[in-house]
Amino acid sequence: MNNTFSLKLLLFSFLFIPLLTLGQQVTGKVMDGTTNLPLGGVTVIVKGTTTGTNTDFDGNFSLQVDSFPATLVFSSLGFETYEERLTEPRVLNVTMQESKTALDEIVITGLASTTKRSNSANAVASVSAEELTGVTVQSGLDGALYGKFNGAEIKANSGAPGGGISMRLRGVTSIFGDQQPLFVVDGVYVDNSTIGLGNNVVSLASGGGNTSTNQDDASNRIADIDPDDIESIEILKGASAAAIYGSRAAGGVVIIKTKRGKQGKPVVQFSQVVGFRSPTQLLGIRDYTEQQIIDLGGPANAVLRDYEAELFDNTRVSSTTRFSTSGAKENTDYFFGVTHRDEPGLVDNTGYRKSSVRLNIGQKFNEWLDLYVTSNYINSKSDRGFFNNGNANRTVGYALAFTYPWEDLSPVNGVYPQGGAGSNVLETVAITTNREEVNRFIGSATSNIQILSESNNRLKLVLEGGFDQYTLRTTSIFPRSLSYFSDPASLGGVSISGTTINTNYNLSAFLVHNLDLDNGLSFTTQVGSFYQNFDRNTVTTVATGLNGSQTNLGQSTNVSTSQVIRPQEDTGFFVQEEINWNDKIIGTIGIRGDKSTNNGDANKMYYYPKANLAVNLQNFDFWKVDEISYLKPRIAYGESGRFSNFNDRFTLMNAQFIGGQSGLSPGNLSGNADIGPERQSELEYGIDFGLFDRRLNFEVSFYNKKIDDLLIRSQVPTSSGFTTRVVNGGELENKGIELALNATVMEKEDFTWNASFKWWKNKSEVTRLDVPSFTTGGFAASLGTFLIQEGQSATQIVGTFDPSAYTAEQIAALDPEGDGFFVYGNAEPDFQMTWFNQISYKNFDFSFLWHWKKGGDNINLSTLLYDLAGTTWDYNDFGLDPSGQLSNGDYRASQAFVNPDPVIEDAGYLKLREIGIFYNLPNGLIKYADKIRVGISGRNLINIFDYNSYDPEVSNFGNNVLANNVEVTPYPLSKFVNLHLNVTF
Amino acid sequence: MKNNIIKLSLFSLILFLSGCNLDEIENPNAPTVGSFGSGSSQADVQLLAVGLEAIMRNDLAFHYDTVSILGREYYDLTGVDPRYTQELLKGPLDNNGFLTTRAYAAWYKVVQSANVLINAVENSSAGFTDEVKNSYYGYAKTLKAYALLMVANRQFTNGIRLEVEDLNNLGPFVSYTEALDGIMTLLNEANTDLANATDDFDFPISSGFDGFNTTATYSQFNRAIAARTALYQGNNTMVLSLLGSSFLDLNGDLFDGPAHIFGLTGNDIQNTQFHVPGQSGQEFMILDGWIADAEPGDTRVTEKSFLLPGGTTFDDLSAQYQIAVYDSNVDPVYLIRNEELILIYAEANIGTNNSESVNAINVVRNAAGLGNYAGDQNDPDALLDEVLNQRRYSLLAEGHRWIDLRRLNRLNASNISLDRPGDNVIDAFPTPFTENQ
Repeated sequence: MNNTFSLKLLLFSFLFIPLLTLGQQVTGKVMDGTTNLPLGGVTVIVKGTTTGTNTDFDGNFSLQVDSFPATLVFSSLGFETYEERLTEPRVLNVTMQESKTALDEIVITGLASTTKRSNSANAVASVSAEELTGVTVQSGLDGALYGKFNGAEIKANSGAPGGGISMRLRGVTSIFGDQQPLFVVDGVYVDNSTIGLGNNVVSLASGGGNTSTNQDDASNRIADIDPDDIESIEILKGASAAAIYGSRAAGGVVIIKTKRGKQGKPVVQFSQVVGFRSPTQLLGIRDYTEQQIIDLGGPANAVLRDYEAELFDNTRVSSTTRFSTSGAKENTDYFFGVTHRDEPGLVDNTGYRKSSVRLNIGQKFNEWLDLYVTSNYINSKSDRGFFNNGNANRTVGYALAFTYPWEDLSPVNGVYPQGGAGSNVLETVAITTNREEVNRFIGSATSNIQILSESNNRLKLVLEGGFDQYTLRTTSIFPRSLSYFSDPASLGGVSISGTTINTNYNLSAFLVHNLDLDNGLSFTTQVGSFYQNFDRNTVTTVATGLNGSQTNLGQSTNVSTSQVIRPQEDTGFFVQEEINWNDKIIGTIGIRGDKSTNNGDANKMYYYPKANLAVNLQNFDFWKVDEISYLKPRIAYGESGRFSNFNDRFTLMNAQFIGGQSGLSPGNLSGNADIGPERQSELEYGIDFGLFDRRLNFEVSFYNKKIDDLLIRSQVPTSSGFTTRVVNGGELENKGIELALNATVMEKEDFTWNASFKWWKNKSEVTRLDVPSFTTGGFAASLGTFLIQEGQSATQIVGTFDPSAYTAEQIAALDPEGDGFFVYGNAEPDFQMTWFNQISYKNFDFSFLWHWKKGGDNINLSTLLYDLAGTTWDYNDFGLDPSGQLSNGDYRASQAFVNPDPVIEDAGYLKLREIGIFYNLPNGLIKYADKIRVGISGRNLINIFDYNSYDPEVSNFGNNVLANNVEVTPYPLSKFVNLHLNVTF
Repeated sequence: MKNNIIKLSLFSLILFLSGCNLDEIENPNAPTVGSFGSGSSQADVQLLAVGLEAIMRNDLAFHYDTVSILGREYYDLTGVDPRYTQELLKGPLDNNGFLTTRAYAAWYKVVQSANVLINAVENSSAGFTDEVKNSYYGYAKTLKAYALLMVANRQFTNGIRLEVEDLNNLGPFVSYTEALDGIMTLLNEANTDLANATDDFDFPISSGFDGFNTTATYSQFNRAIAARTALYQGNNTMVLSLLGSSFLDLNGDLFDGPAHIFGLTGNDIQNTQFHVPGQSGQEFMILDGWIADAEPGDTRVTEKSFLLPGGTTFDDLSAQYQIAVYDSNVDPVYLIRNEELILIYAEANIGTNNSESVNAINVVRNAAGLGNYAGDQNDPDALLDEVLNQRRYSLLAEGHRWIDLRRLNRLNASNISLDRPGDNVIDAFPTPFTENQ
């Protein structure tokens, strides 16, 4: 049958079927097997023909069947396909079961369309609610994602309560741009900024060589989202899948869907978790000899006091209380969830407290119009402590390195002694404040308007609006009574208050058209346009010279204020055509056009195309291999982009103030009016196959991702008065492999065991650089830094060397360019692997998740600082010095600022990320409660690594930089043991 | 058919929506430099003039700390950044390290600010008379010449650029001698502008320039800088002639002179060369030799040093006295002051008018509580030694010792204390990496 003929037939049937009642009527009702309620929108087709219909809102259908016997096929996304053979017309009532296999789950393929995973041409990673929070309780969304999908590098910036995570999908995607993915929650573009507290005035962290302002160990705002509200997460890792998000998608996209009420009896759930937080490990104090103490200025017969243990060796009790209720009846569904979490930190006076309330409501008005509204309010407070780098020995971490155990830092008559380290750690912990407080509202509304709803020709209009607003208040208080403020000529106490108001909203309208032809071809067409508005306004006020013990900004001698406003507007369109031939061959082409006020030319349209193809070989008639349940080769290509920073195109004036007069002076950045976005193109290909009735499911993906027009902060001759200019000038490439195996190891009535392995590897290379090689990240070449160099990995760590320790030949071999640098390491892991197991035996559920990161180096400057002070835990050990002469501490100190090799360390690890064992109490044990579940779980209980500090997961410079692996005296990481009680009513 | 019409009209409506134009966003955080290129108002230009004075103080400590440490006046033994006791004392200096680049960039920021001001005045729409314009030019060019002199002294034989108006078309690097010639020319140009300007400046100048805030008195400051430049050029006749038009006053206050002032309010900045006496983390330590070599009773020693109980040791360097040249974090830093002019006068008179030289030396000695110069009054070498010694004590930490030793060919191990094996004498900062030389 050719296409023309089938089209004619289609038209014919449209026109004449209502008139010619040749066939006979089959009617019936379709029910949802889980909820036992009518199921609308189910496609009913006579097998082998194009005759079909959809069930109406009440689940009813009626269909003309020309001849009998006939087989009716019932299908609906998310349900197992059901077939029934009829020999004569009759009333047919069908109950459909929710699909259990991952292959039938739906994945997002367009801005307003989804498809079955088995038809997807991309390896779209997804994380279910069960995987996200089913094993143990999570502090925030960011931490919940560790090891749950492949292709990602996720790490905590520190152990400070309240989050702070950096996430990279498929390698480094930019050198100076934001590496973080775009987060979309129920269609809302959710802000994930990291906003500093302004502590530099006290820490002086950006004095000396590094002028960054991101050393405040601030959290990132995605931590606000409550993981318990989440139904599922999908991760679009590269441009091939993320092209639909265009110029915001270069870092990948994380699409989050929150929970929605389901048809049936209302479900009420209550859970209480009590957790115990303790340090993953302590480093201890140096095993000083008597002479060493005296050499360091200590007394004879010194009594040693372990300040590290006093600060960190605490067990804290945390509590998470969760209540949720959901349900749906007839045309209305709802979900309501409340979480309250209180997590004290390891260090006194630090901790995280969060309350989150969510209400999602869906309403179907009639057969063609529905509305779904989500709303989420979050209130959180985190006291983060004062850690990381400083240049005045005032952060707790830094001062601890220089605190000798024979000092007595305890207060005398309420007054803390100054101590020899520049500040008194006990005093800093006791009386300083570093707080972030967030009030946030996220809401969205989606409406589907069904314009045409014929069986094989459907058109709907999707209108979507989203809104994300938060107020972040940061408060840092360094009271005047601090011992280092005792001198009248000092700053005399500092109070810093920052307020950020962030308002984002996005609007979009889409038309989605489905056309099914009788030759088995079906077309999904979508066209849409969107508008997004972002506005962030930060005001930071610094008051110094506090009046006595006052901390109010007004009670001070000097006040200075700064304001940063970041406005942005984007608009554009999206068109996509998806063609599916009987689930055998599925192809998609699409294009997105974006323009933004962030580009040099606000009205220049940038285009991001995509195309992909998947073939389900098992659906062809020639496929005869029964052992292989399915085999799907696939290939996908797409492009995406990344904006330059708002200020990159402006040469700004800086405000100056002298003698009561205001003035202006030119800034350091030479603006580039022609700056455009970075452009990423990715080719992904792979093969998915299942063996033995889908007991074993394999997914193999390869990708090659190129980022062109890299945004480079090129250094300009400083004699011009400028120091930098941002240019589009380079190309970066990431190649990688991702392997996944999901296995049903055992499936018996009272014993099931599911396991999944994931393995992934990425390699980056700077393939073109239009500016000379340059260093970035870290503090100095003599302390280890990144060198961006054509033909080399983007994450190579280089440093200076001691020329006297090598022969000319050795130097020529190790430094072929003669740039004075040796390559000492690479931040990129060799590979990562996770192993997740879910075992159920009778009423017991047991799960655990192992995460192995092999290789990847850190620059560990904590150890160096301890060495310079002579306080390192392993100072007296031997083994590092190749000549065997010097102890570890002496050796590292001897190499300081010459040869950074000893501080560049392997940051690989093996961690038991999550483990949980739960017991479901027998039904009916307690009246009124349907189900009671108790359990014990843990996070990061086992941490194995060969890294000389608290934890290899650390970043002094936060998450948005290439060098997110530099350690300077951070807040140590914790492990958790949690006790759970869940009750379902 | 109806369906198709619905479809078509909806599809086109949606595509139409995406065709909307976006308005370019003006930067809401600050004005752009380009906005001063033409048509600036009087208020705009005044902002640039104030900004020029203010920006001179940025990163000032990086300049003074690095040249003072190279000249072995004091050490940074705080341990906060060990490059101060390694790279800076041993070399080689990193041509992309902050010890080299930060002060270099800061002085050129002053040059750039002056150029932006001059350009804004030339193209302003404020209706300035030539006299008013000249007041701006004289002011800006003098400060630009001052900044170029500072950076030339850092880079020394490695040379500097004089013409830096256009990022895409920077002038060539010129030698130290040519740089001094160019600076002198610029100072003379500025002085001519000041002579043909209104009596008062058209913009506010801070109290740091009290006594130098009219075009006539500002010219005395200009001539003082010219005299310093002539001294570096080795032209003593010119020095004496320029000093005659400067604010040199043998009977005046030694601390008379224009200064950078500091404050704690708003965007104002502090004097970061102030170090809290006796506080840990503030160990900027005078070399013990400076204390030991002083004549008994020299009040400059007690004024400029603070005995740190127990002294301090870091990186095999130890010292007893903290530097205390500045008394608070808002103490002014002088651009040039009468005490230096008197010593320049003393030096320039050696060989031609030795008794006048001794006379000037005694002014400085007596002010420090010391008796008159007792050495040979007619031996030029002895007199030069004495002037140099007085400069060592009078101008401690004011950025002179390293340059003085260098211009008098004494920058060697007998004057630069090499306290550890591997310590070296360094005579110039390398040309920054970013200059692509």
